[in-house]
Amino acid sequence: MDAMDKAAGLSPDDALFAARRFRPEFVQGAEECRVSVLQPANDQGLAPNLRVALARRMAALNGDPVLMAEYDVQLAQLGPTEELLALAQGETDFNEPLATIVRHVDLITMTPKKAEAGHIALLAKAGLNNPQIVALSELIAFVNFQTRVAAGLRLMRST
Amino acid sequence: MISSVRLKPLNWHPYIAPVELSEATPEQLEAMKVTPSAKKVSEYVRTLAHDPESYLARTILFNAIMYVEGGLARPDRELGALGASIVNGCKFCAVVHARRHAELTKSDQVVTALYLDKPEVLGPRDAAIYSFARRLSAAPSEATADDIAALRSVGMDDREIIDLIHAISIFGWANRLMHVLGHAESG
Repeated sequence: MDAMDKAAGLSPDDALFAARRFRPEFVQGAEECRVSVLQPANDQGLAPNLRVALARRMAALNGDPVLMAEYDVQLAQLGPTEELLALAQGETDFNEPLATIVRHVDLITMTPKKAEAGHIALLAKAGLNNPQIVALSELIAFVNFQTRVAAGLRLMRST
Repeated sequence: MISSVRLKPLNWHPYIAPVELSEATPEQLEAMKVTPSAKKVSEYVRTLAHDPESYLARTILFNAIMYVEGGLARPDRELGALGASIVNGCKFCAVVHARRHAELTKSDQVVTALYLDKPEVLGPRDAAIYSFARRLSAAPSEATADDIAALRSVGMDDREIIDLIHAISIFGWANRLMHVLGHAESG
């Protein structure tokens, strides 16, 4: 069982667990992507506990209690500060650069259509360098991928 | 009969400076699969190469989802990608995948209907796919068991539906890169 099976509530005796394995490229690929944004060898200065806290926040924005619980467990193991716990819970009152980061994460998760050049300029102004802007974008995009695959698989399982 | 919408390809430009090949690290070059003497690597690839680990992992997954053999027909994957791109507001991705759908089906009827916002003229299979793509792309997802039932009722099996979920979801990813990190221009 991998992270996506856990998120979708699949166990090895489910028909859907086997159906997922018809595409080993997707199973392995999604897992490698997860590692690349949550536990990268080079975190570009965006620490793993910040990444997991943001993932927890985005799981909540996507209304996904299973992934929220999973990221809560992961975050607890990474020595989170009070600030990161508040960030994970969806609070908005932070110092920079976290204030700008959470505004961006919320906007791109909920309304990607509204993204403009100015939003990237705000990240740069808050002190993020280009690798950090790209790494943050990939993290946001991944969690929005993960929540949708999990949501789709859960619907299949329930019907 | 509605007259066809003609979609011209757009050019994409990043809001941040992409990696210059002359300054790229060995890991970035490996992720981009190029040598320093290569002249043409797109701005998109060079922008994402700022974080080579995620770029490499996502490219492998993206190519599998959109191009792997068997399972869901290619035009159906493109329709899922198009539905997601419309919801997420990524004009660049929408044009690319609308054009690809038209090429693969040798018809621009579906694309025309969607660009004119007339999904009611779609056939039952395309309608079920497009509706699911839109609803799964909402944040949070608005897809329900009825959407899965609709896909099954037009003959899709579990493997095809899993392929479709991935095609839609990977555009929940791709749109949040292309529309966020840069913008599309015509000509």
